[in-house]
Amino acid sequence: MQLNRRKFLRTGISGAAGVIALSPVLKSVESSELSKNILYRNLGKTGIKVPVVSFGVMRADNPNLCKAAYENGIRLFDTANGYQNGNNEAMLGNLFKNYPRDTFYISTKIKPDGVDQQGNPDSQFSIDDFLSKFKTSLSRLQMDYVDILCVHDVRNAALLEYKPLVNALKDLKAKGKIKFIGFSTHNNMDTVISAAAELKNWDVIITSYNYKLNNIPEMDGALKKANEAGIGIIAMKTLSGGGFLDREKTKPINSTAAIKWVLSNPNIHTVIPGMTAFDHLDMNIKLLEDITMNEQEKKDLLIAEAEPGLFCTGCNHCLRNCPLGLPVPDLMRAYMYAYGYSNPGLAYQLLGELGTGSSPCSDCHFCGVKCTSRFNVRDRIADISRLVDVPGDFII
Amino acid sequence: MLFENNSMEKFLFNLILVLVSAGIQAQEIALPDLQGYKKVTNYPVYTPDNLWDFLDGAADTYLSYGFTDLHVAEYKKGKDVIKLEIYTHKDDVQSFGIYSAERSPSFIFINVGAQGYKTDGTLNFFKGKYYIKIRTYSKSQKVLQAVETLANKVSNMLTGSSEMPVVLKEFPDMGKKPNEETYIRQSVLGHEFLSGAFKAQYTSGNSDFTIFIFKKSSTEESSKTIASYLKSAGIEMDSQTEGKYIFKDGYNGDIFLSWKEDTIVIIAGLAKDQTALAGSYISEIIR
Repeated sequence: MQLNRRKFLRTGISGAAGVIALSPVLKSVESSELSKNILYRNLGKTGIKVPVVSFGVMRADNPNLCKAAYENGIRLFDTANGYQNGNNEAMLGNLFKNYPRDTFYISTKIKPDGVDQQGNPDSQFSIDDFLSKFKTSLSRLQMDYVDILCVHDVRNAALLEYKPLVNALKDLKAKGKIKFIGFSTHNNMDTVISAAAELKNWDVIITSYNYKLNNIPEMDGALKKANEAGIGIIAMKTLSGGGFLDREKTKPINSTAAIKWVLSNPNIHTVIPGMTAFDHLDMNIKLLEDITMNEQEKKDLLIAEAEPGLFCTGCNHCLRNCPLGLPVPDLMRAYMYAYGYSNPGLAYQLLGELGTGSSPCSDCHFCGVKCTSRFNVRDRIADISRLVDVPGDFII
Repeated sequence: MLFENNSMEKFLFNLILVLVSAGIQAQEIALPDLQGYKKVTNYPVYTPDNLWDFLDGAADTYLSYGFTDLHVAEYKKGKDVIKLEIYTHKDDVQSFGIYSAERSPSFIFINVGAQGYKTDGTLNFFKGKYYIKIRTYSKSQKVLQAVETLANKVSNMLTGSSEMPVVLKEFPDMGKKPNEETYIRQSVLGHEFLSGAFKAQYTSGNSDFTIFIFKKSSTEESSKTIASYLKSAGIEMDSQTEGKYIFKDGYNGDIFLSWKEDTIVIIAGLAKDQTALAGSYISEIIR
């Protein structure tokens, strides 16, 4: 009987005999039980061979979804101490207590308190608190160890060398409570990844990485360096943080193409797309075996790449080019509030605070702003600034 | 005049459409003082575009529950710090949704707002469309007492209902596990076509099961949802206003589904031979 992939997935989950040997009998992660040619990559020098697609569990609340992922070959599940205030870890714990511990990998993340907004440890930093949170995570997961423990949200290389933190992580590793030490980053990524590559302490990095980043050459350089240093690289935010390209929300991102683009970089070892529905899983399961981009996907990605989107990355390059010295990133933010989040009240408030008026560009005949996200800055400023002339009573 | 009149009228018209359809507004929240503590408000007002900066990956869950903005303040007294976070969501169902997603029945529940709890220096509660989180790392009883004082101040300051969502009263009491009710906005049971369900956990004998209650805007909306679900299971719908079905959902096992007008009830976790048990619960909800 020829099963299509959708049916294959469903049948597997419902447990039809003869199609898939269900997972509790599995003995080894690498000896796949599935009639699939799953693509594996080495997660740096950890010794872990991981399927190219893993599971970002953060929003999932249905254990059957994680179970289905496992039964279809996904092996690495990424959560965090803070996700759903711990319920996310608890859900994984309740599920995986029924499976042999050596058949799956758990990555969890803990955000240390006492780190300022620039990512520097400050006087409030408490390693006891960090360790207490880790103990809680183990308890929720109902496990003796986690495979990867990440410091959550590293945006400053100073934290990577902060001895109280690094020593505590090394100690946990020596005691077998964690197999590998890692961190996650989604700000200033290229800098912290490069820094980690030069240190000896870090085994795994979870980083934002997608086709919309405005510093892809720098990121690629940092990832290459990290890979050469033997660090395992896991990509997150592979869809660039949103499902649509346009303000009218009529142009959905081709998420398969976006993930394939990420995996086309050999220095990325696996991705952790967030999944909350079986349709998402169904789509991502296909990627386990085939990450070759077809012509249509290439076209979709080119279109998506050319679409400026709504999200100002705050790179501030525009500030150097605007002859009037306008606060362009803030004006782009106002534009996004109105059109991206349907919240003109917030846009109105921001415009009021900026005091740029209803036609800030009217005295300027040449726009020298080169936006790294390819926004037509002048048009957007003209568009959103009209809001200033709307009587306040109209703004809810 | 910068714009032609009709241009401005068109803009206003579009703007009002956006306002009406969005039904959300920018918030200005005056954060309260706390006697003996210095209030520090160094944080920006977070919005959907930069919530990631504050919450990292956890932000997605907040965004899925209609998050609109977040105000943060710290209250400092010597080395002791109390951190206050006030999250505004689209409405009180969404705020209950995010509150309940982060709630655990093992916490100590307290009477603040619609409901709150304490655990390890944290006090969280929700009221109206607001979800409030207060945290300290101090173990001092005085500081923990100040956390409760601050919670009550914030609760008194914020407008909105101090009641739990009314739909929760429709869940039968027998066998219901306390403080495990949640609201799932998207992909109920992992299906994109199922959205907006209140969920409660039950136990009966050796069986643990889950009841979902959906309140749709109309019979037609219910009918569309039911049709999608039945179609995915290869079943044809036999009525446009009500119905009862038992079928196997390939992902979630046996499903008991019943609906009438704007109400849909789904029970998952019971086997087909437990039809009588499922039926008794359903008949308490859909009469």
